[in-house]
Amino acid sequence: MKFQEDNPSGITKADLVVGIPSYNEASNIAYPTEQACLGLKDYFKDLDSVIINCDNSSTDGTGKAFRDTDSHGIPQMYVSTPRGIRGRGNNVKNLLRKVLELDAKAAVIIDASLKSITPLWIKNLAEPVFKDFAFVAPLYVRHKYDGTITNNIAYPLTRSLYGRRVRQPIGGDFGLSGKMAGIFLKSPLWDEDVSQFGIDIWMTTIAVNEGVPICQAFLGKPKISKPRDPTLEVGTMFRQMVITMFNLMGVFHDKWATTKWSKPTAIFGFGIGDVEAPPAIKVSKDKLYIKFREGFNNHWDVYRSMFSSENIQKIREIASLDIDHFEMPIPVWARVLFDCAIGYHKKTLDRGKLIDILVPLYYGMTLSFVNKTEGMSHQQAEEYLEDMCLVFEQSKPYLTYRWSQ
Amino acid sequence: MPKVLIVDDEKHIRLLYAEELEEEGYEVAVASDGSGILERIEKEKPDVIILDIKMVSSNGLDVLQEIRNKFYNLPVILCSAYGSYKVDIKSIAADAYVVKSSDLTELKKKIAQVLETTVPI
Repeated sequence: MKFQEDNPSGITKADLVVGIPSYNEASNIAYPTEQACLGLKDYFKDLDSVIINCDNSSTDGTGKAFRDTDSHGIPQMYVSTPRGIRGRGNNVKNLLRKVLELDAKAAVIIDASLKSITPLWIKNLAEPVFKDFAFVAPLYVRHKYDGTITNNIAYPLTRSLYGRRVRQPIGGDFGLSGKMAGIFLKSPLWDEDVSQFGIDIWMTTIAVNEGVPICQAFLGKPKISKPRDPTLEVGTMFRQMVITMFNLMGVFHDKWATTKWSKPTAIFGFGIGDVEAPPAIKVSKDKLYIKFREGFNNHWDVYRSMFSSENIQKIREIASLDIDHFEMPIPVWARVLFDCAIGYHKKTLDRGKLIDILVPLYYGMTLSFVNKTEGMSHQQAEEYLEDMCLVFEQSKPYLTYRWSQ
Repeated sequence: MPKVLIVDDEKHIRLLYAEELEEEGYEVAVASDGSGILERIEKEKPDVIILDIKMVSSNGLDVLQEIRNKFYNLPVILCSAYGSYKVDIKSIAADAYVVKSSDLTELKKKIAQVLETTVPI
């Protein structure tokens, strides 16, 4: 895809690139841009750095807002997809191209709407790359109800499938080596969903399956960007992320079928002083319950045809629980996801419809997570999540067996 | 048989673990602290490390980072008298965390589990 480029400093080579993918972020982009430039100036002053806004031809003046930001002497570039071509993944792809063109050793990707980024984030995401790690995923302080797609789907599924514990596989802020950028760019696995919001889980999954050393960078602060209600977050992003995961399960079947249990990654970024507590997140249990019940009633016939007999009996039982006693046992949830992945792979149901029928069950799982953890501290909730991942790992033979049937 | 390197500053713990694990058929090497751990790993070539956290002359969580940065896939089981270190972000780099007990069933189970772990490499 041809892209538009503005390179006022005529940069042709760089050691370190920071990329900010965006679409209509004029009111937000200045803050992460300036913080990233300060990070480059403070921690990587001996390197040649550049900051690039990778945009989707925003119509709200995002590019101008980026260029007008004080970059503290760090050269700026603006690249954009042609007008009408959207997608975070397309922006990341343009960034990867620039990383290779500039022959950069390392790159950092950060969200354009970040409100909590500090210069230290750039240090912690980039420095491991200079210590031979190929891919750096973020470790944020998050409220237990923030990132429910991550907690209930992306983390347990990625971990149990491919055996690497990457706590924020769709975090959105990453570090990567120039070599890793080349691997991503040359991959034949780009598709429409990857070009949109599937990009984050795609990069993490590819990195894990390449077997390259992965590091998780502790960023010390909560990720605060655009506010989001967990009850309402299911939409395009959910769909593209789940479809990308299911697609990659087909591609990497040989890898996950031979993966057993899981291993940690290296951790980077200690000694950063007091850790800021994440802001509270309100969850409407009533909304989650209603959405689960509606979906259950609407899709019951499909569930009966999709899920194994042991699972369908449990789901019917769960649907009869009142809101305060509502619980989705983790083995049931693991098998629901596995059954959906198998259904997707075997095309037993229209793929779009398959995601539709998963959504209410995801709401049910989110409600179950809230019920289980509402009296827990952040740390206790994390331990609950770790136990949940172990159940996924233990349940994997169910997937392996049914996938090959 | 797989080789286990026990890093613990308490002599009686080293003896207890070594005896029990040898009975299970493991080859065992011991170290009384984490100093020079990388050289020790190069020399012993262990298949798994059991690492104490609160040691007199070294902090097991720092030793863990040293190990992980050089030996990315080497299994390390943190084994501490205190469960409270599990909340420390550094402990995430361990394969498993076991609270010390005179009953080694849990530890043995974790050793077996980390040894049979297979991931894309």
